[in-house]
Amino acid sequence: MENRNNILWIIIRKMRIPLLVIIITFAISILGMVLIPGQDNNGNVYYMNFLDAVYFVTYMASTIGFGEIPYEFTYAQRMWVLFSIFITVIGWFYAIGALVTLIQDKNLISQVNLAKFQRKIKELKEPFIIILGYNHITKDLINKLSISNKRIVVIDKEEAKIEELELENFIPEVYALTADVNSPDTLRLAGIKKRNCKGVVTLFDNDFKNTKIALLAKLLNDRINVIVKSTTKEQSEHLKNLHIKTVIDPFTIISSRFYLALTSPSLWLLEMMFFGHELKLEKFEYMPKGKYVICGYGRMGKAIAQALTRAKLEYTYIDLKSSEYKKNKKSAIFGDSSDFRDLVKAGVKEAVAIVAATKDDLINLTIILTAKKINPNIYTIARENTIEDITIFKSAKVDRLYVLENLISEYVHKVIHLPLAYYFINEIHKQTEEWGEKILAEIKEKVQFHKPEVFQIRVSKNETYALYNYLKEDKERKIVLGQILRDLRDYKKRARICVLMVKNRKGEITFMPDDNYEVKVSDTFLMAATKEAKEDFELAVNNYNEFYYILTGKEPKYGIFKYLSKGEE
Amino acid sequence: MNTQKVISGFFIIMAMTLNFGFFYGDIDTFSHHSPYELFATIVVNLIATILKLGDKTQLGSVLLATSLVADIQLISAATIWGISAYVMGNLEGTATQVIVSLSGGALMANIVSVILFIGDTLKSKR
Repeated sequence: MENRNNILWIIIRKMRIPLLVIIITFAISILGMVLIPGQDNNGNVYYMNFLDAVYFVTYMASTIGFGEIPYEFTYAQRMWVLFSIFITVIGWFYAIGALVTLIQDKNLISQVNLAKFQRKIKELKEPFIIILGYNHITKDLINKLSISNKRIVVIDKEEAKIEELELENFIPEVYALTADVNSPDTLRLAGIKKRNCKGVVTLFDNDFKNTKIALLAKLLNDRINVIVKSTTKEQSEHLKNLHIKTVIDPFTIISSRFYLALTSPSLWLLEMMFFGHELKLEKFEYMPKGKYVICGYGRMGKAIAQALTRAKLEYTYIDLKSSEYKKNKKSAIFGDSSDFRDLVKAGVKEAVAIVAATKDDLINLTIILTAKKINPNIYTIARENTIEDITIFKSAKVDRLYVLENLISEYVHKVIHLPLAYYFINEIHKQTEEWGEKILAEIKEKVQFHKPEVFQIRVSKNETYALYNYLKEDKERKIVLGQILRDLRDYKKRARICVLMVKNRKGEITFMPDDNYEVKVSDTFLMAATKEAKEDFELAVNNYNEFYYILTGKEPKYGIFKYLSKGEE
Repeated sequence: MNTQKVISGFFIIMAMTLNFGFFYGDIDTFSHHSPYELFATIVVNLIATILKLGDKTQLGSVLLATSLVADIQLISAATIWGISAYVMGNLEGTATQVIVSLSGGALMANIVSVILFIGDTLKSKR
């Protein structure tokens, strides 16, 4: 409402003078036409009445020009008309010109867009997430979330970015607004106070900005999930103190993932399964044991070093800062003779692996290439900063690639789309290699497929209609996991699904529940399955007839047949 | 002296005085009410309306409302005049009464507008 008023005020302000000009010029012309005597066809003097005068001036000013009425004008009248034409036509065009400028007015356009945005947010009834800032990471994230029909609101300060987003044509529509993300008003506009707002995602490069927004969001609405990126330990601690549940620190993720890759391949594999990795390690994915050389000792380099220390592996590092390097050498290409010497000095010849961890993709790439020249068998690990450079790194045949932007968007996607998976991943990092091996074996045995899909499903009216009603109809009814995990074609066979974990109504977690686990309303299951088994399962727990079949092995009878066959049962 | 105040004050008061000039006279007698005066009243009222546009205050809104009331009454008076004089061809009796009483209504609105305007002026410290 406030906003619609603004639009009106802008129009009124800008149209004031044009309207005044029109009224005054019209009034002068009309008065003149009435006062100047004319002649009728018989030569009698007559005076134009107001109706004729208004009529005549109106069509004259708008250059329609129906002619001289009611009688042909005298010369005196014509002189007046000549004068009137100049003043009224100029006034008229001035008003039209002002109107056209008004339509292109930046203020007005932004106000109109704001009004549209507000209306859309108001009408949005589904759960949605607010994403602040539109960049490579959030674009990737939106792409992933759009697949599962999540509703998203995006805010960015730059108009060009919002325009870019609108060109992407995401389905379902992503609502976007150009506004300052730092202000609470903006967050309120984006609907943070709405009941169906589920979360706020802030993944800026600037940690302070993220913290500030996280705090604002938390104060505005305590109930929502605030997902914040943080790149330092202190910052993460701050955020934890503010009771922010989801803090995404890409360097901690890399450090722990690197540690898993070094020490327990099965846990690593289990984690990567959630990100679409096959349940099998390729040859190049085995990390060599021995001495590592880290190039670039910033946040990333330190994260890797930390993992190496935990894994009790030896390493040396070269403290290479990409910005300083570029300034000193006036080049973004690593590998002149002094760099060569540095690498040799750091021990690349005897090392088993090289890590290129600077902030600059080109420098990282050239570090890898130079190291390979010195030691052709060296295992290469590189940090890639932007998603855009992915093809170059792929063609350079880097053994292990950490794409920061991709990593963040994948993680946030898991937090939003599969919260249980996020929980499971956190558990993985606390477990032992044996645990991982056991679970991997179980998944392989139950799913019998090398690339399972992970999904979560909640026993509720929306997600499992038939199962939910079956349990609700009779409180005494008991149903165990083994009963519903049946093949739709042959109920004697088990479906190719492995249940990874369950969260019950009270929030208690059970990992790897067996087939005797009793299913209750409001349980949420995290499952790994083949695509087909997943679709079949979703059908079975939603459709009464299919559900009846997997429970009993019989086809349900309909209508009249139900009565006819009563005797048989 | 504030030029803008002079201009808007001029038009607001002029709208009222012209309106009164037209309204004054025997309600039945057409010759007491000049069409030129009605025309001038309408024009001045329209100008006053536009001068009042764009003031976001409470007072500004009420001033604008009074002007809009006067505009509507005066324009309907002029319309009735046009219809009865040129379409029906009869301007005596009832038609004149309706026209004059409509302008009387507009006069009331204009008086309210002037009172508000004076009140605002007196309140102002500058």
